[in-house]
Amino acid sequence: MTLKLKRVTLFMVEIKHLTKYYGKHIAVNDIDFQIHDNEILGFLGPNGAGKSTTMNIIAGYLPSTRGTVVVNGFDITEQAADAKKCIGYLPEIPPVYPDMRVEEYLSFVAGLKGVKRKDIKKQVETSMERLHITDMRRRLIRNLSKGYKQRVGFAQALLGDPKILILDEPTVGLDPAQVTEVRKLILDLKKDHSIIFSSHILAEVSAVCERVVIINKGEIMAIDTIENLERSMTADTLLKLTVDGSRETIERLLKDIRGIKKIVDITETANNRFTCRIELENEEIRNEIMTSFVANKLNIVEMSMDKLNLEEVFLKLTSQKKKRSGLEEILEETPEQPEQPAE
Amino acid sequence: MFALYKKEIQSFFFSSFAYVLSALFMFIFSVSFVTAISDMTSNTLKFTFSSIFYNNFFYFIFLIPILTMRSFADERRGGTEVLLLTSPLSVAKIVAAKFLAILTVYIMMLCTTLFFPIYAACTGQVMWAPLICAYLGFFLWGMVCIAVGMLLSSLVGNAIIAAIIGEIIMEGLLFLDRFGSSALVDSYPKLNSLVTWFSMQRRFIFFSKGIFRLEDLVFFLSTGAMILCWNIIIIEKRRWSRG
Repeated sequence: MTLKLKRVTLFMVEIKHLTKYYGKHIAVNDIDFQIHDNEILGFLGPNGAGKSTTMNIIAGYLPSTRGTVVVNGFDITEQAADAKKCIGYLPEIPPVYPDMRVEEYLSFVAGLKGVKRKDIKKQVETSMERLHITDMRRRLIRNLSKGYKQRVGFAQALLGDPKILILDEPTVGLDPAQVTEVRKLILDLKKDHSIIFSSHILAEVSAVCERVVIINKGEIMAIDTIENLERSMTADTLLKLTVDGSRETIERLLKDIRGIKKIVDITETANNRFTCRIELENEEIRNEIMTSFVANKLNIVEMSMDKLNLEEVFLKLTSQKKKRSGLEEILEETPEQPEQPAE
Repeated sequence: MFALYKKEIQSFFFSSFAYVLSALFMFIFSVSFVTAISDMTSNTLKFTFSSIFYNNFFYFIFLIPILTMRSFADERRGGTEVLLLTSPLSVAKIVAAKFLAILTVYIMMLCTTLFFPIYAACTGQVMWAPLICAYLGFFLWGMVCIAVGMLLSSLVGNAIIAAIIGEIIMEGLLFLDRFGSSALVDSYPKLNSLVTWFSMQRRFIFFSKGIFRLEDLVFFLSTGAMILCWNIIIIEKRRWSRG
């Protein structure tokens, strides 16, 4: 008789010092993070950042070179079968058999996941209903559109009622209406599941996830809630300014003011009305800007502190070269040379 | 494991694949049967099923790579390998399920040939003991060839290439005996005994003559098991080196 020992853990998924080498190339470098119960964790990173590798390791598809992954108290390497029973995985390319019919495929996957025979039919029905593919049940998968194949792949991840769902770009190939449906479904699934969700669409991650992990070149650049990331990365020095005047004058005046780190963007919102976002060294520079603009008879319509959006946070973090252990370190970072305002 | 076994069986029988192969096998067997009858000497009116089996294996062995070529190569090509490897099934169970499914198809193909001895028994006398032995030898040799075919499908990512390499290896297995008795190998007695020991054809001859030797049974079973273990190692190794 074998004894199945379940580790006592506060987290649904706990990743410690995870490292993966492909030959001499390091794909994932000593990453640590946790996923709580009923949480949706966004996984962001540019192509080749190590997102899919990490997801594959958590799902038990790839072994890690170093480190541990504990899923619902089970180690993915030592107690693989028990850990895998807790996971529903939708990889980037849905793992479907083109020669099978939708219902037949889902019944097969349910059996593969060890669902009891009497429960298979019910679970298959439920997952088909949730993904709105009941009408397609008798269709051969090869004849389905990409969007439907993606939904069949998603439906298989729900079988076996896993506690953790790993979704690698689940909305790829779906039309806008389907994307909205899937987002709703993911939010609904949160009640009973912990979800790791990767996507290239940052708006989608903002809409669905509570916390995000930003990964680049195999290293975690930041882990926090989206709100915290946006606020903290801006560090209260991003000024939003709406002014009536010409672009040239606005740019010239801003260039002359010392203490402006960077003009993030200038967009024309109406005829001769421009909205600028400016990174300041400190908040006091606001007075200088106001004085300068008033002296030059430019009408300031609005002036407020702004924050970077997730896309800008993402770009900022993924363009950094050094690894940071936490958000505090990123904030502590002092710029080597203040950038000159853009021409 | 049963779910995967069932799915594999269905993939054979829900397409024309298994039927075409069975029909081809039956056709070859029928031709051998008719030829054996027409070659009967007029004074004894005897022919042996063992020799029919023996001759048939030379044709049948080339059908095996076609049976096994898709087993792992298609999973890799279609991206469904990830589904199997992230399921609670161990790699050993995945290999076992696929092997048992192909073995089931193989047994069904063998069962179709029972028509001939049953027909012969209705019209004359059949010596059942050597016939059962021949069936057993045929089954065991085929089993090892299936394990080899699956290993190739696992090693090579493309089903067609797996089948082509499979045919070459099957050819090699068939002529291992002949190679052992060649003048070159004959001059090295130790090498000769080694090659002869590995020769499956020589062992099959005992079965086809109705001689059951435990040594041969153990040889076929252990060789099959060893190749399957190798297959498991190959899949695990690929998981580690994938990138």
